[in-house]
Amino acid sequence: MSQPALLRGGGWQPLLWLALLLAAALGLAELEGLFRLIEPDSRTVIYGRAAFIDLLGSHVLLVALAAGVSSLVGVGAAIMVTRRWGADFLPLVSQLASIGQTIPPVAVLALAVPALGFGSGPTLFALMLYGLLPILRNSLAGLRGIDPAVLEAARGMGMAPLQVLWQVELPLALTVILAGIRTSVTINIATAAIGSTIGARTLGDPVISGLVIGNTAFILQGAILIGLLAVAVDSLFEQLQRRAPGA
Amino acid sequence: MMVSLRGNRVIPVLALMALALLWSLDFVSVQPNRIAPGNGLGLLAAVGLPWALTLTAALLACALLALRPQQPAYWPILWLVSLLVLQLPLSLAWSIERHIGADMPYARVGIGAGYWSLLFLLGLLLIELQQRLRLARAWLLGSGIALALLLWWLAPQDWLEPLALLREYSSRRSQFAAALASHLGLVGGAVGLSLLLGGAIALLLQRYPGAQKGSIGLLSFIQTIPSLALFGLLIAPLSYLSAQFPWLQQLNIRGIGWAPALLALIAYSLLPIVRNTCVALAEVEAAVIESARGMGMSPTQVFLQVRLPLAMPLIIEGVRVTSIQAIGLTAVAALIGAGGFGTFIFQGLGQSAMDLIILGALPIIALALLADSLFSLLAERFYSGVGDDRAE
Repeated sequence: MSQPALLRGGGWQPLLWLALLLAAALGLAELEGLFRLIEPDSRTVIYGRAAFIDLLGSHVLLVALAAGVSSLVGVGAAIMVTRRWGADFLPLVSQLASIGQTIPPVAVLALAVPALGFGSGPTLFALMLYGLLPILRNSLAGLRGIDPAVLEAARGMGMAPLQVLWQVELPLALTVILAGIRTSVTINIATAAIGSTIGARTLGDPVISGLVIGNTAFILQGAILIGLLAVAVDSLFEQLQRRAPGA
Repeated sequence: MMVSLRGNRVIPVLALMALALLWSLDFVSVQPNRIAPGNGLGLLAAVGLPWALTLTAALLACALLALRPQQPAYWPILWLVSLLVLQLPLSLAWSIERHIGADMPYARVGIGAGYWSLLFLLGLLLIELQQRLRLARAWLLGSGIALALLLWWLAPQDWLEPLALLREYSSRRSQFAAALASHLGLVGGAVGLSLLLGGAIALLLQRYPGAQKGSIGLLSFIQTIPSLALFGLLIAPLSYLSAQFPWLQQLNIRGIGWAPALLALIAYSLLPIVRNTCVALAEVEAAVIESARGMGMSPTQVFLQVRLPLAMPLIIEGVRVTSIQAIGLTAVAALIGAGGFGTFIFQGLGQSAMDLIILGALPIIALALLADSLFSLLAERFYSGVGDDRAE
């Protein structure tokens, strides 16, 4: 009873948020009358330098590319340092993953500019680098959290090391790994929005441009879309995690 | 164990990576003035052959000492790595001495990718050594602070003066102090207020456990909203309120500035604090509370003298997470005019002034690492304190 409806589980939830997001991306530009109320004195009240749907597309692309690469690298690195031949590197890698997460993502984004310059490329690099840490940390926790007796039993059944990894370890660690990917994507949606300041084309553009010229309507349009995107993706992960085996 | 027989492989890998990057990337760059593009100098050009060979020898020695079978020589490696860290400002000074003449008053020296790579890899080496030698985290914190003090003492010296980072700093000393004050003020205000508010919410949730799931759910919903969006969403209502009530304007509460920043920071900070406090208070065993009551303690005494101290480590952990988060979010809040070190970052981005960006980003990272170590140490203190009490 106490739980707000929007937080209750159900397969329809991600669909609802996605529908709202798409409707906003396509329809916000039609609500000129409404935004006129907020910004009565400005010449334009709808952000016009790019269509919202295009900005949404490139924002999602940036985050998805970063998530794909850092999931591969993060899970791969975690697998390597949990094998016997890579165990030397385990203490350093796990310390690095936890100390690295202390560093604010905006600082990493800012430092990408002196290193690589302006644009979408440096933003993507910063997202991949920072998004790697939660995935690495959770993959390590997931793989190391498996009861050694289970692994022993799998080996005893005559499974080859690769089979143990693929059929036992990864499925058992999946929920924890997914939680890491979820954290990484949540952080990256927010960081990509700030990426507008270093020249990436994202939903942060209307907000930054609104802040620069003092147009509250632009800020609001960007903020609504960024918020909806984050909530939609988060509820998608919520469902994924519920349906993962062993959840 | 098998591992110890073939020595340590991590240190040689890190040392060789440092060597490769040091020799292949620019060590420093020289700019004739602030606007002109920099001219990159490799290690050899920057510090000359003797210095370059000394660095190379030291890194190779680290690799070889680690490969020694049976027992890697961790203490000598630690000394070598510490010396390598200490020579970092000296090698900059030496590059400046070699390349900046008295006839170049506007010339500035930028720190190159090779130098940053060396710094980063030396940091990794220190973490590896700390792990292998089982040194306390406090040891790392202590040497970090010692190094910072050394840099603080070196910074005003003449021989580092052409360093671009220092030039940016010395032309905005008072702004730097103001940024530090407003950054710490916002973070401290947000963490302090949300500790009070979050503590009160957590206590209420103890009384009405039915509301717990919903409240935590609502707070984590807020956490998923990106900072730029939350700041943006607060601007419209706050500027409306401030236009309606002039007394708000006198308090400097407007759509942009510290007010929306503080509100958003508190909204983000509540989740870690409420969640950890709830878990911590719930985890104190019923038997402990029962025996405290049996000793004749009043409910207030039970809370203040038994439940709260036992819950303290987890509550501090919540404060640690919140502070680190708030330090990063305050940097973003510079976009809505809240001040802090983010101002330098976004000014630097606007002017394409790379050293100004670094001048903003480095203190933010330092603050986050400092807050992390301080609160971790504090929580450890409480854990051991709790242990001692139990032993009695």
